[in-house]
Amino acid sequence: MTTEMKTTDPAAAALLPVAKREGIETVWDRHKAMQPQCGFGQLGVCCRICWKGPCRIDPFDDGPKRGICGADAHTIVARNVIRMIAAGAAGHSEHGRHIALALLEVAEGKLPAYQIRDEAKLIAVAGKLGIATEAREILEIAHDIATVSLNDFRNQDTATPCAWTKATLTEKRMEKLAALGVLPHNIDAVITQIMGRTLVGCDAEPANLILGGIKGALADYDGMSLATDLSDILFGTPAPVVTAANLGVLKEEAVNIAVHGHNPLLSEVVCDVALQMNEAAKQAGAKEGINIVGVCCTGNEVMVRHGIPLAANYLSQEMVLVTGAVDAMVVDVQCIMPAVSEIAGCYHTELITTMDENKISGARHVSFREATATEDARQIITLAIDAFRRRDAKRVTIPDVQQTAIVGFSTEAIVAALSLLDAEQPLKPLLDNVVNGNIRGIALFAGCNSTRTPQDNSFVTMAKALAKNNVLLLATGCGAGAFAKHGMMTQEATLAYAGDGLKAVLTAVGEAAGLNGPLPLVLHMGSCVDNSRAVSVAVAVANALGVDLDALPLVASAPEAMSEKAVAIGSWSVALGIPTHLGTMPQVLGSSTVTELLTETAKDLFGGYFLVETDPEEAAQKLLAVIDEKRRGLGI
Amino acid sequence: MKQGRENAIVFSDPERCLGCHGCELACAVAHGGEDLFAAAAAGRTLRARNHVVAVDTVMLPVQCRQCEDAPCALACPTGSIVQEGGIVSIREKNCVGCKVCVMVCPFGAISVKGANTASSESLTNRGTAQKCDLCVGTGRETPACIDGCPTKAIRLIDLEEFRQGLREAHAAELVRSHAYLNRRK
Repeated sequence: MTTEMKTTDPAAAALLPVAKREGIETVWDRHKAMQPQCGFGQLGVCCRICWKGPCRIDPFDDGPKRGICGADAHTIVARNVIRMIAAGAAGHSEHGRHIALALLEVAEGKLPAYQIRDEAKLIAVAGKLGIATEAREILEIAHDIATVSLNDFRNQDTATPCAWTKATLTEKRMEKLAALGVLPHNIDAVITQIMGRTLVGCDAEPANLILGGIKGALADYDGMSLATDLSDILFGTPAPVVTAANLGVLKEEAVNIAVHGHNPLLSEVVCDVALQMNEAAKQAGAKEGINIVGVCCTGNEVMVRHGIPLAANYLSQEMVLVTGAVDAMVVDVQCIMPAVSEIAGCYHTELITTMDENKISGARHVSFREATATEDARQIITLAIDAFRRRDAKRVTIPDVQQTAIVGFSTEAIVAALSLLDAEQPLKPLLDNVVNGNIRGIALFAGCNSTRTPQDNSFVTMAKALAKNNVLLLATGCGAGAFAKHGMMTQEATLAYAGDGLKAVLTAVGEAAGLNGPLPLVLHMGSCVDNSRAVSVAVAVANALGVDLDALPLVASAPEAMSEKAVAIGSWSVALGIPTHLGTMPQVLGSSTVTELLTETAKDLFGGYFLVETDPEEAAQKLLAVIDEKRRGLGI
Repeated sequence: MKQGRENAIVFSDPERCLGCHGCELACAVAHGGEDLFAAAAAGRTLRARNHVVAVDTVMLPVQCRQCEDAPCALACPTGSIVQEGGIVSIREKNCVGCKVCVMVCPFGAISVKGANTASSESLTNRGTAQKCDLCVGTGRETPACIDGCPTKAIRLIDLEEFRQGLREAHAAELVRSHAYLNRRK
């Protein structure tokens, strides 16, 4: 990789000279200014958990081998990495708790802005959680679902695992995880336990620390599982929809509102109220009314549910503002670069923070409450329309770059499409094609963008190499955003890049679904929280074959990982038995013990393990080898 | 290096040094021949040739000053230390690791550490004198410590340029003083 290569996204690249001309600093400028980055930090051997420190261990055996308290590199690296897992789990689980509390209040009739939009999903979830549905009111069932979900934050009996984890994994996996003592009983308790055990003078054994981290990662899985399914109940389960992605989705003649962050509780209501306020926007001079576009995972949430176009994934969020065409950027939680505040200040753009525990200096704060959601959204959209009146047309540069994207492949949508081929046994066509080799394996792409990799390049490079070798591709989060922007969620991409076997399967399903052609090359399953959807597909396949998850020719990849959330997701992916590729060097190499635990010992314990490879071509080849090894294991 | 010029030196600014040891890590990696991650993953023993030292309230890295009349070169019994290509160079194949150079170096810039892996019966631990070589032979354009410093506290100083800069700065001051005096007359 050349250090000068910043992005492979043509729209972002087109705006870089504009940013330079306007004197606007971007994430890539800051990355360059930050070089050199600390080698001790990159290896994970810097300890800052007490004020005797900071301590750092010489990775090359010539300087200090222990910190002042006596912690060695292995203890320090293990503590650092599991604290990252705790932070990731906290983020996802706060999101999940927020949705569960909203569902509870909807069930109690307290939130007029929200309804149960997917009763079929509600019944299915109740069934999964063992909640009675016969002859009961929908809201009564919803109340029970919310209560059971919230109990995953409340349960104090360490022998009873979290309900969502138990309800969504294979029996064999549950047994394996229970035997290793890593099943979470309470999301909050497990996160607290990680912070407690990594305090100065506590757990110092690397393996014990890492297993504690795995428990935290599974708490992360539990939180995101409930977040996904409860969101579907409230806002609808994604079904295939045709939309568009990249900065070209912004409109000169519209009030452009970018919804950015993660939680659909805000963005859904903004979308609803925008429809009601379209006339007001037109009266303000916006001929095309209000145009909502998505950024990051909020973008994915509204994209897969309503076909709202996606403007950007993580690394080009600043470029959305550099178009000069965004009247308001509305943000909630996670992955919002504080830098957007300064850039919004260079234009007429209103940057609006909405969560009381997530504010940014220079932004306007509109405190968003579910109870007053409609009024709050109305205030936000009014601010956007007012800002539109101040927009300077001379400073508007919208790159004419967008790609069609067919998105919305929830587990339910995939099963529904397959059932068109075999109504009795919907999974049979998928299994048959895996067995006969038309589908060599399945890869889930997840995770972020990072300035350590040219934006989107590793996703696209790996996907092309795997598709050519007949690997079925699923994607979530900013990975899904990358594929949408690069035209990989189109029928044309299937025809151009899929191997013959994969092409035949995608065409058969696509034709049966009335698409007059194949399914898109990469199936968009949703936001990063929706990685749980991929697990539900895998669990269904494993149960149909009568095997555990680690026997499947299934791999995961986060080739441009960055966030602590990715550390948590990657770790539960490993714990569920899925070989998981990282394209970013994890900050653990300063400890040979921890490196071995994560890349080798994990294989014996869980069947899943981390595979690190920064070169995307090499990584694709390594994942193919893993898939073939799994196929041999199954005797196919 | 041109004839008649002093050897260049690594100059460290104690006002900017934060004591992060990044320069040491960069030096160790540069002389190891692999990148940071590969060397760490392979568990190499690598030694920095510079050392961050804290005295009173300031810190700065200390390394060889490439002396023109180097005590180490004068003292070396095997003639392994010579002036060569603008640095004080150690011919490691001639060095026996006697540590006389360590004793006479006023800056504590030389180490003669052997390999950690030598067994108890070995006749040699292969320890030879090592010190800053301005990264000559590592293929780098600038010494690794300079690139590795996050606060730009480290610079490579060409003495001719350094002196010229001082002269110009002071000349400029003098010119301003003269102009002031002339106006007063």
